[in-house]
Amino acid sequence: MAEKQLSAVEAELYDRQIRLWGIESQEKLRAANVLLINIRALGSEIAKNILLSGINSLTILDDGTVTEEEQQKNFLLNKGSVGNPIADEVLIKAQALNPLVKIKVDKQPPSSKDSSYFKNFTIIVATCIKTDLLLKIDKVCRSSNVKLIYGDVFGTFGFSVADFLDHNYHEDQIKLAGKKRTHGEKDHEKTTIKVQGVINYPELKKVLILPNTKQSADSIKKSKRRNELFYIMLALMEFRNKNNRNPAIESKEGDLKTLETIKADIFQLYEVDELKTKLPADIFELVFGEEVVPVCSVVGGVIAQEVIKAVSEKEVPVNNIFLFDPITFDGKEEAIGA
Amino acid sequence: MVVTQITKETIGNSKVLVVGAGGIGCEVLKNLALSGFKDIEIIDLDTIDVSNLNRQFLFRKEHVGKPKAVVARESILNYNPDIQIKAYHDSITSQDYGLNFFKKFNIVLNALDNRAARNHVNRMCLAADVPLIESGTSGYSGQVELIKKGVTQCYECQPKPPQRTFPGCTIRNTPSEPVHCIVWAKHLFNQLFGEEDPDQDVSPDTEDPEAKVEGQAHSATNAGNIQRTSTRRWVQDIKYNPSQLFNKFFKEDIEYLLKMENLWKTRKPPVPLSWEQAASHEGDSVEEENNVRMQDMKVWPLSKCAKVFASTIDVLKNEVSEDKFLVWDKDDKPAMDFVTACANIRAHIFSIATKSRFEIKSIAGNIIPAIATANAMIAGLVVLHAFRVLLQEFEKCPSIYLRQKSVHSKFILAADKQITAANPKCYVCSPKPFVNVFVNTNSMTVKEFETEVLKKGLNMIAPDVVLDGRGMVVISSEEGETEINNDKKLAEIGIVEGSILKCDDFLQNYELSVAVNQYEAKEKDDPLYKIVANPDDLKAKESVNGGEKNGNEEEKQAESDQDDLMVVEESDDPQEGSSKRRKLNPIEDNDDDLCIIDS
Repeated sequence: MAEKQLSAVEAELYDRQIRLWGIESQEKLRAANVLLINIRALGSEIAKNILLSGINSLTILDDGTVTEEEQQKNFLLNKGSVGNPIADEVLIKAQALNPLVKIKVDKQPPSSKDSSYFKNFTIIVATCIKTDLLLKIDKVCRSSNVKLIYGDVFGTFGFSVADFLDHNYHEDQIKLAGKKRTHGEKDHEKTTIKVQGVINYPELKKVLILPNTKQSADSIKKSKRRNELFYIMLALMEFRNKNNRNPAIESKEGDLKTLETIKADIFQLYEVDELKTKLPADIFELVFGEEVVPVCSVVGGVIAQEVIKAVSEKEVPVNNIFLFDPITFDGKEEAIGA
Repeated sequence: MVVTQITKETIGNSKVLVVGAGGIGCEVLKNLALSGFKDIEIIDLDTIDVSNLNRQFLFRKEHVGKPKAVVARESILNYNPDIQIKAYHDSITSQDYGLNFFKKFNIVLNALDNRAARNHVNRMCLAADVPLIESGTSGYSGQVELIKKGVTQCYECQPKPPQRTFPGCTIRNTPSEPVHCIVWAKHLFNQLFGEEDPDQDVSPDTEDPEAKVEGQAHSATNAGNIQRTSTRRWVQDIKYNPSQLFNKFFKEDIEYLLKMENLWKTRKPPVPLSWEQAASHEGDSVEEENNVRMQDMKVWPLSKCAKVFASTIDVLKNEVSEDKFLVWDKDDKPAMDFVTACANIRAHIFSIATKSRFEIKSIAGNIIPAIATANAMIAGLVVLHAFRVLLQEFEKCPSIYLRQKSVHSKFILAADKQITAANPKCYVCSPKPFVNVFVNTNSMTVKEFETEVLKKGLNMIAPDVVLDGRGMVVISSEEGETEINNDKKLAEIGIVEGSILKCDDFLQNYELSVAVNQYEAKEKDDPLYKIVANPDDLKAKESVNGGEKNGNEEEKQAESDQDDLMVVEESDDPQEGSSKRRKLNPIEDNDDDLCIIDS
């Protein structure tokens, strides 16, 4: 990073967002080094949004190869990309989104990286990874003061899980002191106050508790008005952990059975009475098939916005869990494990 | 919803129109292309600006100045050359896009930045009976809404808050907020370099009812007004001499204002400022620094304002000539610098807070902040709704609101529980559209009625008007038929209290009955006319003391405190679509103000 202060070129380019989050936030973004683990449909959306925001550097870590299906839902690829390493293929279009950001690509498997690798970043964004690796990275992050957010999209369902450590933030609140003048004119004296806040994020091993782990789920069970999509999220994560892939249409019948079994285990662990849940019986129908692109657009927008909040320390971030409802299209936050 | 084989086939066979290739438009186009849409048309009249590039990701630096629709098409084809995509660099309100154009599409997706175009597309889609998905963002917030004839409410079912306007005498005589000084500075720019507009006078207003002394018709003479009618001539005579201009506007005019004593009984009187005082103002020895924070973010000292006043006049005077006037543009450096300097000098005189160039640009240019993430979220929801619409699942598409923060409800994206039914009294989508208009039939001309009420107020494009009962055509969209009426007062041709006008817009396929009500503005803040869809609204409105501007302002503020209020931006970047081309004064005339919808 050459200079601490924004150049006139940057001020012009980022004008419309500086008017929203202020120049200090933009300067913090400008100093941020982001690691993105896996750049598939959701990852490409996140990459686009954070590249546009004007971070210092983006490292893309992905050891995958472009398949035809992947090419169809990832706008950073094109038809000639099929068969080549994803990390290489996204580079040109990713860089075109913002020539001011330094982009590095890394084709090694995320699981091959040792702890020291993850310490070099301001924030890590992970998609499409297994829970044990996520928890391992979280442990490194916590010891190195690196923030972490993970997200995935399964069919029309999507979510994110964040560990922003002990996150300090501020927000601007506008206060009005209106004094009546003659003839009904009002004189508004607006003052902007900086309101400080802190959110203490629990470590992910206390949030993502799956069946057959040593961690106790007691603290999570207690909540009465739990968003039940949380359990669906856990079931999908567990499915991938066990099967090394996402539920697939080709093996739908078997996969549905597996998912139901996992769900039953999760309900047992969290002492959820299945008869009392409001989840539709066919909820898993909605999680099959490839990631639905517009859902990636929504969830990728949410995750990138959280990255921006985490880096700029401006505005209240959402609590550690975000769940996108595949039926109503509501997007709700949830504080779990805190 | 599952993206089944049926959905995929339906998508592949659908023809979709995207109106607007801005922040939301780019995201929508990408989502469509990646979801299997194969037949897309895109229309946008705008060209690409550098400040678009932080979110309108189909465009790059080398595209600046090129038409958005055309470049967006190329970018999408670059991703997938097999998509049929047609681009129009044009206005959707043009007569070229009539009913038959709209009828070609299975669905229309709006990604617009101003209310006039939204109203128009709303009417076209109602007339063509094509489902429309309306969307908008403002900063961190946004919304998505389905509009389907006979199923949901239309875009115009709920009255939108009026534009924020300021009474002329507040601008000319008694400014109390920075925005008043900024409006004045833009008017001054137009007086000196722009198209002369009598409504943008910058001299003291001797007609100010407040300035009147009892028992006397006019407190002061009319000299101020008469003198100023030839501002341009006088300015040319003195060859745009900066110190003379400065003393005229900031010293002599202020001294004149001080003579209108009534104005200053309850207000702090302004302090006249001479060129010499300003140029040598003390405590101003700030070094020039060549970085953004200093140039743009810091409030300029008074001496710098004076210096900039002089230097920008020197530049601008050379650009203006007998047959060429300038149009104020926030992105034109000398024009923006001039307004910054003048607004702050005037603010100083009236003891009003001065502002940085950056802040003044926001207000003067009516800039709505815009970010990629909010646009991506909203565009994702637009296309998810489009899937359901194409499967005829209209009931599953209630409006969805994106909130900056959830506060107590946990909702970041909040969907309504159900679709909202049409307002039976809507003057656009009800079976027999009817509206009450309140005008002064003795003073308003037929031409004013056409331009202000029918076109600006009721958003018609080319109305034909028949006076009911007499069968007389009073306004015709055909040239040469009714021009003779233009300068007549409404009452002169028989349009009076109780008259019913049958207004027909052929392009919009829209027939509206207008009931005329006699109304005379009493307070100086009163609008020229009022449009009331539901007579019951009138009573409610009156109890709010008619202070619509203040009411609106308060609502805007309330939004930051209340979770259930939603700011819905008309736009992603309204000024880009308006101020340059239409020469509107964004603060006073721009139709892109925030509107607030209660979720």
